[in-house]
Amino acid sequence: MTKAMREPGLRTLGFDGVLDLFRKGSLPASAEDLIGEVFGGGAERGSLVISGASGIVGAGKAMQLGSRLHTYGVRVVGLDLPGAPDGIGRQYPGLVRAFGRDEADRIMANTVRLHYDGKRLPAELRGFKPRFLLEAIPEILELKRAHYEVFRAAFPGAEIRSVTSGFPSSALGVPIAHPAFPHEINKVWEVVEAKPSAVTRLFWALGLIPVPVGDYWSFVLDVLFCGVTHAALQYHGRSNMPFWKADKFVRRALGPNPFRAHDAIGAKGADFLTWSCLHHLAEHYGGLFRPTPELVERKDSGRDWYPPEHSRPLVDWKLTAEEAEEFDDQILGAVLQMTSLMLHEKRAALPYMNAIGELCAQFRSGILAVARRLGPEACRAKVAAYQAAHPDARGSAWHPEAFDGMNDAGWRQLYVNAEHDGRVGVITFGRESYNGDVDAELNRAIDWLRAEGIERVIVTGDFHLSTQLVGADTSEFYPALGRIEDGVRIAEGWSKTARRLHREFRVSVGFIGGKRALGGFLELMMHCHYLIAVDGTELGMPEVTLPVVPGMEGCHWTFRKSKPESWPEILRLLLGGRPVKAMNAVGWLADFAGPLDEALRTAWAAASGDSALPPRKLEERALSGIPTEVGGLPETENPATLAARKAILDTIQASCGAPLAEALVVQAKHSAAFMTSAACREGRIGAEAAKTLAV
Amino acid sequence: MRAPESSFPRARIPYGTWGSSYFPAWQTSALAEVNIGQFAGEGFARILGLRKVPLRHLEYMVVGSTIPWHWKFWGAPFLSHCAGRRIPGFHVEEACATGLQATVLAGALVQEGDSEVIGVLTFDRTSDSPVGVFPERRAYQRTVPISDVWDNFGFDPATGKAMIATAGLAARKYKCDRAEVDELALHRHEQYFEAKASGFLDRVLVKLDLLNLQGRPLGSIDDDLGVRRLTREDLRAMRELDTCVTAGTQTHASDGMATLLVTNEAKAKELSPRPEIAIRFIAKTEVRTSPALMPEAPAIAVRRLLDRTGVTMNDMAVVKNHNPFAINDVIFAKHLDYDWKRMNRTGCSLVWGHPQAPTLTRSLIEALEEAVSLGGGYVLLFGCAAGDVGICALFEVS
Repeated sequence: MTKAMREPGLRTLGFDGVLDLFRKGSLPASAEDLIGEVFGGGAERGSLVISGASGIVGAGKAMQLGSRLHTYGVRVVGLDLPGAPDGIGRQYPGLVRAFGRDEADRIMANTVRLHYDGKRLPAELRGFKPRFLLEAIPEILELKRAHYEVFRAAFPGAEIRSVTSGFPSSALGVPIAHPAFPHEINKVWEVVEAKPSAVTRLFWALGLIPVPVGDYWSFVLDVLFCGVTHAALQYHGRSNMPFWKADKFVRRALGPNPFRAHDAIGAKGADFLTWSCLHHLAEHYGGLFRPTPELVERKDSGRDWYPPEHSRPLVDWKLTAEEAEEFDDQILGAVLQMTSLMLHEKRAALPYMNAIGELCAQFRSGILAVARRLGPEACRAKVAAYQAAHPDARGSAWHPEAFDGMNDAGWRQLYVNAEHDGRVGVITFGRESYNGDVDAELNRAIDWLRAEGIERVIVTGDFHLSTQLVGADTSEFYPALGRIEDGVRIAEGWSKTARRLHREFRVSVGFIGGKRALGGFLELMMHCHYLIAVDGTELGMPEVTLPVVPGMEGCHWTFRKSKPESWPEILRLLLGGRPVKAMNAVGWLADFAGPLDEALRTAWAAASGDSALPPRKLEERALSGIPTEVGGLPETENPATLAARKAILDTIQASCGAPLAEALVVQAKHSAAFMTSAACREGRIGAEAAKTLAV
Repeated sequence: MRAPESSFPRARIPYGTWGSSYFPAWQTSALAEVNIGQFAGEGFARILGLRKVPLRHLEYMVVGSTIPWHWKFWGAPFLSHCAGRRIPGFHVEEACATGLQATVLAGALVQEGDSEVIGVLTFDRTSDSPVGVFPERRAYQRTVPISDVWDNFGFDPATGKAMIATAGLAARKYKCDRAEVDELALHRHEQYFEAKASGFLDRVLVKLDLLNLQGRPLGSIDDDLGVRRLTREDLRAMRELDTCVTAGTQTHASDGMATLLVTNEAKAKELSPRPEIAIRFIAKTEVRTSPALMPEAPAIAVRRLLDRTGVTMNDMAVVKNHNPFAINDVIFAKHLDYDWKRMNRTGCSLVWGHPQAPTLTRSLIEALEEAVSLGGGYVLLFGCAAGDVGICALFEVS
């Protein structure tokens, strides 16, 4: 019997939880089996048909799915009107960049393009044995319905999914798989269906991120993205602030650049979709969503939001502190009111509702994490401030009670979950970068497992929302660029959390199953008694390239767990910034690397106490003899990199030269001090901070 | 006195919806490096934003400038585009009378009734003025290049005289006294600095920050650069360039923009932060005086306006003018038997410069703001313009 802090994401897809996955020693489904289930096996294997395949969505998805399906012998048939521009052909350079020319050629060779008149399917389509239609035609309800009828009549057993950006499944009459921009690479699909289907499970098995959501007008992503655009437009309408500037203030407040994003996607199409989304929402929920005159005009004209190159903005717009607060109230107030509607309607599990903003709409923190930081009263106050300026939004889709219950596990564990079976626990991360929210939730997960009497734990990604662990969320460091105290607070706090994995469990196993584990997340995993990875996974400490000095004990912990002959390798990892394959890091960084199933079994065995794998001892005394130089580093004359190498080397010497009890503070101080240096402030994080905060 | 009838009874200038940039002297600020039309359009939106007037109220634009700028062909539609609102409009140009002329034309349009809210936007950049190359087959050079600002200041094709020569001629005609002219110039500077110190100008002038092509700060337009603190001794010591004209008793070239709205009574109440204030158009006159006597033209225009309306100088709450030469005011005082110390109490273009089109717009805004601070009354605004023209208008603040 497995117990969880909150429902594991995998269960919403019809699978068991993460703990079961380790216990069974394999993933819950294989792509090969699901391909057979969806497309048929052997000679009966059919094809994927994408209608509207020349559009932005259709072409992007033709490439994303085509690159995954061609190895299974599933043809991709792109269907569009004869006059449609060649959207698929335009994808080729990107395919070459991603996969190399040979693989790109194979993907394109597997993609068939057919024309039709929009009413009758081409006769040769039957020869491709369509088994799955992904409909990506224009957002006109009757057109879509007619299209399904034609397809169903010709291919009665085929699965159909609509990529619609706003119509509910109940209106369309088919399930929905709603993707997110940029369609070639964004893995998230909002899925609307009665119960998890083979198509949804296949998407997961292919490495995509299907997210079940409720059947309502518009999706979580659209409410958030169109909502923040709408709020910025309303602010423009009141203040005259140009769109380009409102864009920058929205980025500072929440993360997205809504107007730049519309232009990047293609203003004509994107404006129509945003208008369509808001228009339908306004019809159902009232004034909160009513499109502004500016959006209506852009929808009709297709004009870009940003000024053209020849008249780049000339007059700047500054906000006083008071005005900036009002701006934040207006933007956040609108988005929080919309969020209250989604919460009220239970449009998605809370971690999904939160993650969609981060993964698909550029939110630095998901909207629920933002709301949680504010607290229910502040959320309601911001909505009240927004409604005071927009009386039309009062009484329209406002559910103030939706922010109650922030102490429930669903609200408290948006990014980190924990499960256990009474003996072994698992902590899972649903966020690819480590930040203050993840840190707090990880502490709560550890507390929960300890309170449940669990002494054995596996720490890993959630096998769903996070497909890799890329390190610290560098936006957390912005305050530390100016104040050493903030850097110390972050480094010490996060390091103390990491040490809990070492100290508070009899056995802790860091399991790295995605593409890579880097920086802060790798430092976190290092603290586990065992580090087990899939053999091709990349492990790296890229801090030197940013540059920053690792803050979560990466400069001494691994040295303490490895033999002196491995120390040059560790030095190279830290000073060079280049990742290593897990299979090449066994013995000094990882304890085991192997194929996925074997790695899963090894992790389970280690956690269960059934493993012969000997734990590497952690040396708690001061180390001596740490090398001060190492060969094989990338050549550089970049002063920032050279400064970072020196600072990292100093940190290694100081933290390794201290006993374990003192090393945490030593490393945190070094890391924080470097963050206030010119090298760091003028580096990538400094540039990001300036771009985001210096509006 | 019988209250005069309004020339455009429907038209109003909504109080507090106006603004002007500072007027930095030519070549002293970042304005020398930008397209002044784009600056004006974007600055217009900024000023209206600060005044809490959403652009969506705007229906029409009357814009004015006198010095060619890049994309001038596209006129008001381009400027409204820069502001962020696609509306029609036209461009008007009458040298230094442009600002007042544009305002009066906007009043006429509101009176006509086709547009409810009209933006008056005037601007000029004297810095780095363009050089036009004109085919002139009858000139021995065959092709004549003209630097728009300085060559025009230096030569009136109707008279062959320079602007400064009109000042000297008028000073001689009216037997102006250099000492009085110097004293007037000193007083005008003192008036400006007092108004600045009192914070009055903060109600009119708006700081505008400029960006370069990369979106980084290019400079702030936050002062009337070029205004000097002169002493009586400084003025006395200055070399006379023509009769009674020295560097201290004439204005200087500058860059800038100024804007206000013209609308009807109901909309003025909606847009103004003080809807109880009504600003009405009363009358306008315009004259052209004898060749090369430009400084006397405004006085003649005012005399005509007084005769037409029955209003006297004693009825005026605020008197303000565009005075590129200090002798303008001396001549006006002689003509109208009016104490020049009662004029231009918050500053004038003699002091803060001369970007032409927006000059009288800024003067009008300052005058209206001053009238409001005095509790209302008649506002008399006048000035001279190239071609020996005098323009004058009367407004009522109640």
